[in-house]
Amino acid sequence: MSKIKAENVNVYYGSKQALFDVSIDIAEKEVTALIGPSGCGKSTFLRCLNRMNDVIDICRVEGSIKMDNLELNSRKLDVVRLRENVGMVFQKPNPFPKTIYENVAYGPTIHGIAQSKEEMDQIVEISLKKAALWNEVKDRLDEIGTGLSGGQQQRLCIARAISVSPEVILMDEPCSALDPIATAQIEELIDDLKKEVTIVIVTHSMSQAARVSQKTGFFHLGKLIEFGPTDKIFKNPDNQQTQDYITGRFG
Amino acid sequence: MSEKPHIVKSYEEQLQLLKDTIVKMGTGVEKQLENTIQSLVKKDISLAEKSIKDDELTDKYEINIEEQVVNLIALRQPMAIDLRETVVALKVSSDLERIGDLAKNISKRLTKIGTDLPNDITKNFEIAGLKASKQVNAVLNSYLHRAKDTAENVWNSDEEIDQMTNSNMEAAVKHLEKNKNDIQKVTQLLFMLKNIERIGDHATNIAEQVYFLITGDYLEGDRPKG
Ligand SMILES: Nc1ncnc2c1ncn2[C@@H]1O[C@H](COP(=O)(O)OP(=O)(O)OP(=O)(O)O)[C@@H](O)[C@H]1O
Ligand SMILES: [Mg+2]
Repeated sequence: MSKIKAENVNVYYGSKQALFDVSIDIAEKEVTALIGPSGCGKSTFLRCLNRMNDVIDICRVEGSIKMDNLELNSRKLDVVRLRENVGMVFQKPNPFPKTIYENVAYGPTIHGIAQSKEEMDQIVEISLKKAALWNEVKDRLDEIGTGLSGGQQQRLCIARAISVSPEVILMDEPCSALDPIATAQIEELIDDLKKEVTIVIVTHSMSQAARVSQKTGFFHLGKLIEFGPTDKIFKNPDNQQTQDYITGRFG
Repeated sequence: MSEKPHIVKSYEEQLQLLKDTIVKMGTGVEKQLENTIQSLVKKDISLAEKSIKDDELTDKYEINIEEQVVNLIALRQPMAIDLRETVVALKVSSDLERIGDLAKNISKRLTKIGTDLPNDITKNFEIAGLKASKQVNAVLNSYLHRAKDTAENVWNSDEEIDQMTNSNMEAAVKHLEKNKNDIQKVTQLLFMLKNIERIGDHATNIAEQVYFLITGDYLEGDRPKG
């Protein structure tokens, strides 16, 4: 089942085109990995999926991106609602300079999800548990979030992202600053989350893409060169450029 | 399809070394098999002894290839064509080791029974043996030159060796019925004939691996006989 369907997406930064006719079907409750050389447009594409490109003045997005049957690339779209449904985790953990509790409670508060203090406590606890952080922070929820280690901060950001029960989570190189253990914890979390959530992850680690995703898309110079089942991409890709990239050959 | 070189030169060199080692091992095994068969053709036991001795080197190559493969997987995490290259090398080396072992086994039996043997049976053995040698040679060429068609040909013609073996063994049993005194020699010869068939099977295994290496697909359908 397709969750997001992008058709002929073209993105421009001023007069410079960054994405060319990208069409992709992102399956529901699966992990889709986006790979490709630096500057090929992965983050640009990811930002199309929650309208984060809106904040870049010179950026213009053309084409159709449908989530379920809702056109995301429409002026009429309620962007606040969209971002409640489509969470995002960035390369650098970016907790708010507030307490651990407040970091997680922030989304449910602005979206008016919790009816009572008890309910909010529950949401915070469940989100931190799902993010595999609860045990490490349950006795220090009123400490400042930025005081955690990098890996803990990243899991806090994931807890923040899932606290509003989004249907889709976008991750842009979420493990690039993490050690192997913290990385494994995030990967375990991704495995777990995909039972309920559709995940799109950008990663520069070929082995991470291979480990966590069911589908992989290879971008090059703003074009989606190949998209298919992850095992196929890493065992026997159809496209020579894909193979040259994933095997570390001169392109 | 010839691949571009890797950006990391040492990785490129390691994969090249792996391919070179397979080719060297294969050449050694071919020579072993040739000596084994020629020992009977030329009635020269020293050739059989050489084949037995050379099997030590074949075994060493297999261990060496296994070490290379484990290192590549642990340290390079090969992907796509490189992954197939690595995994196929491991499997091919183990089939080559088996071929070497079977050649050695034939040679050992030959040193036991000598070269004064019933002509009708040894003629059959030579024909089947040469056919098996050809298969091994062809499949190694298909590996070296990445020739998918050659691999497919080897795969398709294994049936011939199987059929030859069946009729050769029947003929040997018939010979035995008429010449009961040859029992010692003919029993050994039966094993030798069967070993030739198994060498053909291993060449077929290698053909499947080469096909997978080149295409990423498995050869379709049942093995001809098998
Ligand atoms: N805010 C911006 N203003 C102008 N150009 C931009 C902007 N963001 C990205 N670009 C350009 O768009 C292209 C795609 O960039 P993008 O950040 O999407 O690449 P990426 O694949 O995510 O790269 P990386 O792997 O390095 O993160 C690049 O040429 C980049 O210079
Ligand atoms: Mg990026």
